[in-house]
Amino acid sequence: MEPDLVRRQGALDRGLSWLIRGQRPSASHILLAPATLWLLAFLILPVASLLSLGFTHRGPYGAFEWVFTWDNFRRALDLKYLPILIRTVCYSGATTALCLVLGYPLAYFLSFQAGKRRDLYLALLMIPFWTSWLVAIYSWIIILGREGLLNGLLRALGLPPIAFLGTSFSVILGLVYFYLPFMVLPLYASLEKIPRSYVEAAHDLGAGNVEAFLKVTLPLSLPGVLAGCILTFIPCMGDFLCADFLGSPRTYLVGNLIQNQFLMAQDWQFGSALTSLLLVFLITGLYARHRFEEQGLFEESE
Amino acid sequence: MAEPRVSRRDFLRLGLLLPAAGPLLSTLAACAKKPAERVVNFFNWSSYISKEALPGFTAATGVKVNYDVFADEEEMFAKLRSGAMGYDVIVATDYLLPRLRGSNLIAPIPMEDLKNLSNLDPKFLHTPYDPEQRFSVPYLWGTTGIGFNKKLVAKAPTSWWDLWDERYKGRICMLDSPRECIGTALLLKGQPETTTDEKDFEAAKELLLKQKPLVKQYTSATYVDALVAGEAALAMAYSGDVLQAVKENPHLDYALPKEGGYMWVDCMCVLRGAPHLADSVALIDYLLRPDVAAGICNAVHYASPNAAAQPRIDPAVLKDKRVYPPAAVVKNLRYHTPPDPEAYVLWNQTWSDVKAL
Amino acid sequence: MRSKGLQAYCFGLYAFLYAPLAVMVAFSFNTARRNVAWKGFTFQWYGALLRDAELARSVATTLELAVVASLMAAVMGMLAAYAMTRHAPFKGRGLYSALLNAPLMMPEIVMGVGLLSFFSRAGVPLNFWSLACAHALIALPFTTASIRARLLSLKESSLEDAAMDLGATEWEAFLQITLPLARPAIISGALLAFTVSFEDFVTSFFIAGIGIVTMPIKIYSMMKFGVTPEINALATCLLAITIGFLFIQRFLDARSRLN
Repeated sequence: MEPDLVRRQGALDRGLSWLIRGQRPSASHILLAPATLWLLAFLILPVASLLSLGFTHRGPYGAFEWVFTWDNFRRALDLKYLPILIRTVCYSGATTALCLVLGYPLAYFLSFQAGKRRDLYLALLMIPFWTSWLVAIYSWIIILGREGLLNGLLRALGLPPIAFLGTSFSVILGLVYFYLPFMVLPLYASLEKIPRSYVEAAHDLGAGNVEAFLKVTLPLSLPGVLAGCILTFIPCMGDFLCADFLGSPRTYLVGNLIQNQFLMAQDWQFGSALTSLLLVFLITGLYARHRFEEQGLFEESE
Repeated sequence: MAEPRVSRRDFLRLGLLLPAAGPLLSTLAACAKKPAERVVNFFNWSSYISKEALPGFTAATGVKVNYDVFADEEEMFAKLRSGAMGYDVIVATDYLLPRLRGSNLIAPIPMEDLKNLSNLDPKFLHTPYDPEQRFSVPYLWGTTGIGFNKKLVAKAPTSWWDLWDERYKGRICMLDSPRECIGTALLLKGQPETTTDEKDFEAAKELLLKQKPLVKQYTSATYVDALVAGEAALAMAYSGDVLQAVKENPHLDYALPKEGGYMWVDCMCVLRGAPHLADSVALIDYLLRPDVAAGICNAVHYASPNAAAQPRIDPAVLKDKRVYPPAAVVKNLRYHTPPDPEAYVLWNQTWSDVKAL
Repeated sequence: MRSKGLQAYCFGLYAFLYAPLAVMVAFSFNTARRNVAWKGFTFQWYGALLRDAELARSVATTLELAVVASLMAAVMGMLAAYAMTRHAPFKGRGLYSALLNAPLMMPEIVMGVGLLSFFSRAGVPLNFWSLACAHALIALPFTTASIRARLLSLKESSLEDAAMDLGATEWEAFLQITLPLARPAIISGALLAFTVSFEDFVTSFFIAGIGIVTMPIKIYSMMKFGVTPEINALATCLLAITIGFLFIQRFLDARSRLN
């Protein structure tokens, strides 16, 4: 090899090694540059410029007029929207709780599986989410409908049909269906990391199955519980499709209200104010969680 | 976040996807030599054209049509107002025209280049929504009335009040549209649509909120499915939507209420700054040809404003009073009045409240 | 686990997840054109599927988008995760970490409208690449989180040190030790990213340029006319391919273990 080439390779290698070593902040900055660029161009700038509309005046036919006003926020904080917020929190909370209760045993079960079998179960968990959710929602409508499969079953048993669709039940069912893996996967990841020997040690010290679970497994899985709850709760708060397709006018959620401002009322100023408030609400929640962690209540969940 | 274990399986799965990169590269190659190709970008309602129309245009002129569809007019408007999408021709309801003009989204059409314009029935020209006939060319027209499932209703609906019938609790669909719902509520309250009195809107809101416990869904898209499936008994509906669905459920029918239904005309418009103006005009002119217009009418069961096309329309469609209502009924039909910017706020906030409260 | 009850419960939960899929598959053989009631058995929709060039194109578009977006998200996620876990802490790391999760929090409608109005003001053309970049951003939290978790759990491993003791540079150690060890997490993150892009509707709905019709957009535009069994047939085919791969993989694995 030419000596010149060797020296240049050395320089390249040295540069890359410097990046890998990362003792200087500038090395971190270089590695983070693509993600930063993406966050700026596709998240921060677009969303900030849209949300800034919340502070501006609404022109004719919803035109943008760059005149400062608090009007949109005043409207958004109207008490008449409180029931919608409460409903949304209740639905999201119920969904999160149901996902936790339903998903925990599954994650627990998965954490005891090994090798191929576990791979299979995990893949089977993900496959439904490779299917278009619109098709899945339509299938749920076929199942839950007035003339649907479930009611057909009830009729065959001689029972009166029940209106499943268009109720809180059907909306929460849809939410649970779509967000279950967001709960199960983090739960599984944290349960799987718990060394088997801890549980065995508890048994050796005379703890029964239940006690070992309550005293060892459950506390150690709390980071996963928390991560799962956050990953489920947050997207639920903004969801509008489940309420749209499986709900009724009486299951209107914050997501629907926001969506209505952008797509129907052409009132982007008001929609932006609503979104900003929702974000403040969510960020406060996340910050509270962060403080919890700082106080050492939970270890870093990742 | 979780870290699901992954094995070679996933590599294999990715491997499956890589061949997809082939077409990607060819798309890129196609992009490179694109300028040579003539195209028109056409944005229309879903299921609102015949299968033959666009290929026919391409065969006749060599101009390719990029055809995109929307399911909801307000969604279309939201897209257009947020920026240049690059569309040339859109189809919009008469009612939307003042707003499209007011938002500076559409441009005058060079009408002198449309040699088929004379095919149109004169009563659809120089209408209140485009008195100078500069911005729009009628495409199809239809009515807003009540669609119903004969098996599920005691008797055929005859009045808008039938949509307030307690017996059909949870089986009534309403269009997700301020103009249709609030317009109807104002009509039932005996107020003109031109009102700007907040009290009238308050009254309309009360009326709609009274109906709300009975309503299954506010939707402009999925009510036909609900009717076909027997989920809904009654629905405020657009004529052709229901009539197209009769094929799948013979129990469906459509009626215009005695208080008067609404009629509307969907128009072709050219967007401001349309990148392919000349070919857009050619497309509009082509869609005005009698054979093409008749084909579209036969396919979608909405009425054609094209007088020259009449002889070529399927007699079954032409004689269907639900598609072409008799003159006496047409007299009783009305256009919605597009609100001015101030009233527009009232309409929208009232509707937003009806849905939210 | 040993408990039969737990196993039965999990199978029950899987039944819940697969119930709509079973309905979807069954209704792909339905003669009724609208997906609402069972009329009779037919294969016609699979035939229609083969002839529907538009649908085939939208499947191809969706797959291409998902491949490109997940690759971008995987590369960015790997770089970011590495800097966040292996480098000396830099100022503002906590904030940046929160920022990386922000795309998860944003209501999709805000992303969609915000991107569209920003693109049009900034003069960014709405084409395949702008959509792919946006998808990559939406998928970024998934790849970053997955890879970060893996790198954190590998942190204590001294394999890299050992390699360097044997004379490898940091770069070589990274290439030959860290990267292969992180590979499962990179792939699982990329798969999640793939799923996110494949399923994305709201954002794509706004910023897909003219003629770019992804499957979710296509299905949505068919809603007014009802989701036809053809869509079910398509979803069934995709499902069959996925499951088929799963079994081929298991078969190959079993054979390689025999050898």
